[in-house]
Amino acid sequence: MHTEERLAQTPATDAVPVYELAGVGRAYGGGNGGVTALADVDLVIRPGEFVAVAGASGSGKTTLLQLLGALDRPTSGTIHCLGRDISRMGPGELSRLRRETIGFIFQQFNLIPTLTAIQNVEAAIATRRSGERHRRAHDLLAMVGLSHRVDHLPSRMSGGEQQRVAIARALANDPGALLADEPTGNLDSQTGQEILALLRGLSTEHGQTVVLVTHDTHVAETAPRTVRLSDGRVVSDTANAAAISDPA
Amino acid sequence: MFFLSYALAELRRRRGRTILTALGLAIGVGLVVTVNALSTGLDHAQQKVLAPLTGVGTDMSVTRPIRVTNNGSGAFGGLSQSQRNRLRGQLGPGPAVNFRNLKPGQKFDTDSFRATSQLSFPASEVKRIEGFAGVTAAAGSLTLTDTHVYGKAPKVRLQFGNPGSFGGSGGQNGQGGARFQGFGGKGIHFQSRTVTGIDQSRPDLAAVTPGQITKGRYFTSSSAYQAILSSSYASTNKLSVGSSVSFGGHAFRVVGIASSPLGGTPSDAYVKLAVLQRLAKYRGQITTVQVRAASTGAVGRVAREIKTGFSASQVTTAQDLANRVGGSLSDARNLSSKLGTALEIVGLAAAVLIACLLTLASVAKRVREIGTLKAVGWSQWQVVRQISGESLLQGLLGGVIGAAIGIAGAAAVNAVGWTLKATVPGSAAPARGPFGGGPFGFGQAAQVTSGSTLVKITTSTDLRLILAAVGLAVLGGLVAGAVGGSRAARLRPAAALRTVE
Repeated sequence: MHTEERLAQTPATDAVPVYELAGVGRAYGGGNGGVTALADVDLVIRPGEFVAVAGASGSGKTTLLQLLGALDRPTSGTIHCLGRDISRMGPGELSRLRRETIGFIFQQFNLIPTLTAIQNVEAAIATRRSGERHRRAHDLLAMVGLSHRVDHLPSRMSGGEQQRVAIARALANDPGALLADEPTGNLDSQTGQEILALLRGLSTEHGQTVVLVTHDTHVAETAPRTVRLSDGRVVSDTANAAAISDPA
Repeated sequence: MFFLSYALAELRRRRGRTILTALGLAIGVGLVVTVNALSTGLDHAQQKVLAPLTGVGTDMSVTRPIRVTNNGSGAFGGLSQSQRNRLRGQLGPGPAVNFRNLKPGQKFDTDSFRATSQLSFPASEVKRIEGFAGVTAAAGSLTLTDTHVYGKAPKVRLQFGNPGSFGGSGGQNGQGGARFQGFGGKGIHFQSRTVTGIDQSRPDLAAVTPGQITKGRYFTSSSAYQAILSSSYASTNKLSVGSSVSFGGHAFRVVGIASSPLGGTPSDAYVKLAVLQRLAKYRGQITTVQVRAASTGAVGRVAREIKTGFSASQVTTAQDLANRVGGSLSDARNLSSKLGTALEIVGLAAAVLIACLLTLASVAKRVREIGTLKAVGWSQWQVVRQISGESLLQGLLGGVIGAAIGIAGAAAVNAVGWTLKATVPGSAAPARGPFGGGPFGFGQAAQVTSGSTLVKITTSTDLRLILAAVGLAVLGGLVAGAVGGSRAARLRPAAALRTVE
């Protein structure tokens, strides 16, 4: 691990970590037929970091992302998100944490097909007042370059545009962490690059913490820090000097 | 409003399923509306048949019938001594014409009034009954059998056991009586007819109500000698409004003709109570008290109280009258009240079950969408609210369609012009006298008007029924939404997001 490089990328080492994982494991099923998806994972992600979690299929990266996203709870170890132990939270608290602290981007975009672009963004902040909700969604769509597509249904947009809407939705609640699961997996190469550039920009220009899961080594190399998983264990946690020097 | 926009968008997207669910609920609701409208129509039809029987506001009639027991001997068997004495006084010797005092060919006209099937009792009982709890109004009436004998004295001197007199008894109600011919070809006419004296100040409780008048008018205070005739009596005797008819030696002007209600116990003629009491020498006496109860629910209790408080009385309620009416109308109403209710329950239950299953199927198809919503922070309550809201809208749509189906169904019944037969068998009313069947009507039983009438069924749907039906559909939608919503709320977001759609 290139500690000095990672520290150089880390904006504030004394700030409360966005994530702090200690001995985290996740097993499915019990007894001899049980499957261990993650085992003994220690990880610290600080505010503003852009981290790629890489690994082959079945390495446990999506499981790790679900644990970080408070969609699931570990069977062992602890996970602290901005200082709060989410391993012991109930469903209601986890929902609130996701609503207030975490933004998700999915490989298949996961937009609601019946809602327009702006309504999809509003879905993440549905409890806010109508005017405020609408303004926020509009601003975010403008930020991802989709001002002209606000009233379009997902079926009338390209994959890249749909992923931009998904990014806008993930940013709607001003999250402490943006979690992206194979965000370029369903996009062509050029569009994938554009999406990666957008995510990098959020990190470098807005200090947004981004955790990106990918099986693509080229995508992982665009991240200043890469955590590699194999068989549910962290096998490396490295800084990428090239990515640090060339954030765009 | 986001939730509403989302719900509407979802319902539009799953148009087929939405329509199917709404239609399921609509059929259930339509069934409720149609069956209820039909049931109301059958009720109205029965009320239409019963209205003339029950009067405008009469809930029960109180009489004091002469009771004959099976083990009694003779005509007076089973009667108490006081009842026998009263009966003897009422019956008397019967009508008599003393031909010794008449010259051959001389005209004569005599009436004899008798309370035959019921004992008369003091009119003061009206006040007493009016004082019973649950009674709001009461009015008395006097029904008597008038044996009317008229003609010319025969040229042949007659010899009878009772020298110089001629008597008889019995006869068919309203049939004009027997015609005695002979004795030189000059007829002596016997006519038995029932006359009821009514308290004209209480027309709504009277034995004949203004609503029954088909020709002419009701009583006025202008003259004492006014008569209203039953249509059958008027027809048989070729009498009409303006004609003159004789009772007790007085000429009464016919002011109105009244219809004879099916199943009723009509009299041939109606006159003012005080006039009949005076002419028939039944001063201060009545035979029936018409009673109005405070409410329909109070009728049974009031009837029991009257029976207890008024010895030897018989109380005939509107329900007793209703029970006389049979035929397809009665069958249809029974079917409607029993099968109709079952049909409504089964129909609604099936509709709600279908809605629940379709909502569950819908949730199963939206697992990843629900997982996504949970991932972006939706709480379980928000998910349940969304699914329930969509289901509620489906219920509302189903309710509106169902109400339209129901109204159309009710209108279709009206358009078909369904008619049912109301039948009253030709049997005597319960108060049968001991001397029924005599040639001149002495002791004549109170005959109900038998026969059949066709009643057109006219269904009606009111706003309350429609609102209740829509409410049921919305409730059904909410139940389905709660079932589907709770299923959606239980989905684990991580597992839901892994679902491939």
